[in-house]
Amino acid sequence: MTGGEVEVVDLVKEFNEVVAVDGINLQMPAGEFFSMLGPSGCGKTTTLRMIAGFEQPTSGQILLDGHNMAFTPPHKRNVNMVFQNYALFPHLNVFDNIAFGLRRDKRPKAEIRRRVADALELVQLTGFEKRKPGQMSGGQQQRVALARALVLQPAVLLLDEPLGALDAKLRKALQIELKELQQQVGITFIYVTHDQEEALTMSDRIAVMSAGRVEQVGPPQDLYEEPTTTFVADFLGVSNLMTVTAQGASSGRCKVALGDFELYAANGDVSTIGETRIVIRPERVRLEAHQSTGENRIPGMVERVVYLGNGNQIIVGLANGERIQALVQNTGDELAYRQGDPVKAYMPAEALRVLTDTGTAPLEDDPRAHAEVHPLEPVAEEASSPNVNV
Amino acid sequence: MSQALARRPARESEFGYTRRLRGWFGNQWGKPRFLVLVTWGYIVWSIVPVLIAIQFSFNNSRSLSIWHGFTLKWYTSTDPNIDSVFHSAELRGALEQSMKLAGLDVLIATPIGVLLALGLARWRGRGSGASNLLMLFPLVTPEIVAGVSLLLLFSQLLTFVPFGTVAQLLGHVTFSISYVVVIVRGRLFSIGRSYEEAAADLGAAPATRLTRVLLPLLLPAIVASAAIVFAISIDDFVISQWLSNGANSTTVPMEIYDATRATPQPSTDGIATVIMVITLLSVVAGVLVYRFFTRGESGRGSAVDDVAGFGI
Repeated sequence: MTGGEVEVVDLVKEFNEVVAVDGINLQMPAGEFFSMLGPSGCGKTTTLRMIAGFEQPTSGQILLDGHNMAFTPPHKRNVNMVFQNYALFPHLNVFDNIAFGLRRDKRPKAEIRRRVADALELVQLTGFEKRKPGQMSGGQQQRVALARALVLQPAVLLLDEPLGALDAKLRKALQIELKELQQQVGITFIYVTHDQEEALTMSDRIAVMSAGRVEQVGPPQDLYEEPTTTFVADFLGVSNLMTVTAQGASSGRCKVALGDFELYAANGDVSTIGETRIVIRPERVRLEAHQSTGENRIPGMVERVVYLGNGNQIIVGLANGERIQALVQNTGDELAYRQGDPVKAYMPAEALRVLTDTGTAPLEDDPRAHAEVHPLEPVAEEASSPNVNV
Repeated sequence: MSQALARRPARESEFGYTRRLRGWFGNQWGKPRFLVLVTWGYIVWSIVPVLIAIQFSFNNSRSLSIWHGFTLKWYTSTDPNIDSVFHSAELRGALEQSMKLAGLDVLIATPIGVLLALGLARWRGRGSGASNLLMLFPLVTPEIVAGVSLLLLFSQLLTFVPFGTVAQLLGHVTFSISYVVVIVRGRLFSIGRSYEEAAADLGAAPATRLTRVLLPLLLPAIVASAAIVFAISIDDFVISQWLSNGANSTTVPMEIYDATRATPQPSTDGIATVIMVITLLSVVAGVLVYRFFTRGESGRGSAVDDVAGFGI
């Protein structure tokens, strides 16, 4: 399999003056499992539909292996799509559904038979040729849709929330299968989802999108561990977000004031001065006895303990009025804290991160809106560049 | 206050019967007896007169009120004194005229309606909303108004259109197209655009998408709308009457109307029965075909089902 590198340059899509996609730049190297993640209305599906050719960009370029295909009609693009509702032709059986594209391509009959059989084997549905889509379960229809797209050996496979209609257990099983399938066929997968867990499980890289913009691009670990914006921190996993007054860098750490308390944050934009937000994941918050001392410790009281099975979620009311969550793994030992107990919440400096914006929505005077974005530069670097003032 | 309390037990015994009756009809946990009563009352009210008319078309007498035994003579007799449905020149001619009009109407209105529906469903922007709304206009215009306006049109302006079959056909096609558009467009909306997009994605050019994907998926709606066009055309009286040229273009409803005003006979009931059976068959056939082609589909188009479902 050769090719399959997709690049999106300054892509804009407006629907009657509503800006659905607001000038995004993305690079998807050949063979990558790339996800576009975001809440509904963030422009991820519109972007995917533009790559497929169902929507025409208002401006910008869509490059497939270096060739602009923004104005190529969908039936002439070497990309195939798996639709959210599968869109299997209800009047055709499984064989004819999968053979549909090959027949449009005028392949010889023997080849069609062989390739359909191969595709069915790939998705483990051999023997289902004569079934109609209506006689199959959601998971099986999903596989037929995959086979129908993959049988054409596209350079890029587009997937629009393909697991959205399935129940949770099946979804988990198919996530792993999809990832394996992608590694097996080796082509570029562009996957659209609003489910952060799905994106984290399968992707090589993720673009988190919001309001038609790309917030951050990177491997799952980077996005989870090093979110640059409030939106990303909040959207991926559970976050404790706190509004603080930053006092700038001192020996590589940022000193911030949270009410009357002082904290040091070692990650993120440590040179920030002024009001900003810091974030810490619940599993990085450590609860200690009330008497313990040291930096980055804030006294508080256990307000609620929620049993989660694999752990306990503990909600702590801090002395400055802030509420944070701590996640304590279930180790079999009895939990040391009960509702009403005074504790110290220890937030290690290396687990605290200074974010580069203060709101969940991109600000009106967001410097990124006016910044020159070099098309070959990943947007993440742009977003985390130190000259962003907040 | 105390008085009212004291009177209460007396009331209960006094109104025990009505209370029990109300309990029998209006018990929320019981069977919906009142609903059943109203429903069946309506069904009997609407069907029994028709059944009586059908019954007297088999009456072995000219009477339409006293039963004299069963006969088929009003349908099949060749006796010149009996105007039987299949051998009287007038009745036979009316039957043929009705069938001819309905058949041609289906052949002309269905394809035009399908193409219009396809176009309208794709048309976005200025004028599309208004056109979609105005499409419903022929469905709600009083037929008498439509008939008069067409009469004036053909007699004053388009005088080259001869009254009779041609004018009647034009009139029927005019209102039939709306039905086809509404039904087919409903189906188009319910199947959505994803099948077409999937076909495009798999390499099908626009023409192929239409023939390989869209038309097969629309087939049930096309058949259903053809059946409905046939049924309403054969049933039409007002427009056929306005645009006729006299004896040559008398349709069955016109013939029944004339005959009933002059001397009603069992054969009049007979031809009415024949036309009703044809209408019913066409609608049932349409619905069955629709059901057959959409079997196994989940989330069926409600608009289409409402219209296509009216025969069952």
